[in-house]
Amino acid sequence: MTLGDGVKAAALLFVAAVAQVSIFSQLHVFGAVPDVLLVSLVALALLRGSVVGAVGGFFAGLLVDTASLGTMGLTSLVLTLAGYWIGRYGETTGRDRGHAPFLSVAVVTVLYQLGLLVVHFVLGESAPAGAVVRSLIPAIVLNLILTAPIYALVRRLLRPAARDELSAEVQLLG
Amino acid sequence: MLASSVQRSKPTPYPSKARSALIRRAIVVGLVIVALALVTISFRSPTAGALHDVQGAGSTALRPFQIAATRIAQPFRDGYDWVASVSSAKSENAHLKRELRELRLEAIHNRASALKAQQLESLLHFQQRATFPNGYRAVNAEVTSFPSNPFTHSLEIAAGSSAGVRLNSPVVTRDGLVGIASNVEPQTSVVTLLTDPSTYVAALDIQTRVRSGMVHTGPGGTLILDQVPKTLRIKDGDALVTDGTHNARYRDLYPYGIPIGRVSSVGATDTATFLQVQLQPFASLGSLDAVAVLVPKKPHR
Repeated sequence: MTLGDGVKAAALLFVAAVAQVSIFSQLHVFGAVPDVLLVSLVALALLRGSVVGAVGGFFAGLLVDTASLGTMGLTSLVLTLAGYWIGRYGETTGRDRGHAPFLSVAVVTVLYQLGLLVVHFVLGESAPAGAVVRSLIPAIVLNLILTAPIYALVRRLLRPAARDELSAEVQLLG
Repeated sequence: MLASSVQRSKPTPYPSKARSALIRRAIVVGLVIVALALVTISFRSPTAGALHDVQGAGSTALRPFQIAATRIAQPFRDGYDWVASVSSAKSENAHLKRELRELRLEAIHNRASALKAQQLESLLHFQQRATFPNGYRAVNAEVTSFPSNPFTHSLEIAAGSSAGVRLNSPVVTRDGLVGIASNVEPQTSVVTLLTDPSTYVAALDIQTRVRSGMVHTGPGGTLILDQVPKTLRIKDGDALVTDGTHNARYRDLYPYGIPIGRVSSVGATDTATFLQVQLQPFASLGSLDAVAVLVPKKPHR
């Protein structure tokens, strides 16, 4: 990943985090909120791999926690794991597959919500499982609607990495 | 031949790949550990400490970007609101006309009662605490960030201690109670909403004068009026206001008379000691653009 790409990725996540906290968090549709930051992070991780996904998730989460004066590190923790996991999927089985962004967004939306639920539960805070489960389907639909334009934008912004730039750590055992 | 053992060649090591995998895992583990450390520190001291100061400074630095984003989105929001309001305008108009007729009669009655009460207070030299809204001045503030998921019951506003906001200042809209200022920075504050599980508000039913209930969030996430004995009478549609009393168990921070919500259902079971009262808040907590923080005119109340 070049320095220019790094700056572009940082700018992308910064704009997505600010937009998420200031604009998209107000758009409640059937109890769900479209997550432009999560979709941007998924697109970035798919195109640039697990390390960029994890680091991007960590700092984007810090921005969200700082902007909303929430518990520091909480969103970072979940987004770091989400970025890393999607990055690994992109590096291995998700390469060059047209459905990869949509599949990743759908799965990560569920895991992100459940991850937040678990973290809040562990911290002894409000963890309304019923509300989260009810909002899962609308959240997936909303995020899937965002996926195509955001993935196209990120792909345009960041040139797809050459195969040898991505980690190729699928080793056959035996 | 088939039975003969085949010497399998030793797998070729990939030192560079193994090293990069190790580095990758180390980075992720490191980030997770840092995140966990931040969560621990932040959770242990949510309103004080170095991390809190850094977060406050970061929030102040991000505020211009948030305001810019909100301004950019404002025309789109206004357009959506206009379309949404036009579609329901006709039925709403008829409903509001009917409500206006009822409220006009009620207002005349209330004005007469208030005048009478004022005269009686004057005759009796009645001493009382600051009440809403006369004893307070409003610090009006824009909402800069909103709860984005079911776990968050707070929002951030663009007014802090420099504007006079203090910790535990009540926050309202023109419709009713919103919550309380739970974290105050020089330029921003966090408002914990009425729907937060930690929020308890002593309430008074202004129709029946029942004043033994506490408004807080119930198990299903709905707002309930708790601890009302079954012997007392509360009915659907009753309006609740803050009671302004001081309870030994729940420190009441709200002055008397702030509208909270309307009773939406009342139930009772044989096994429960108290009534099961659900209510709908007057303030639209999910779509707040601006709020007013109530600051007492006198420094001590």
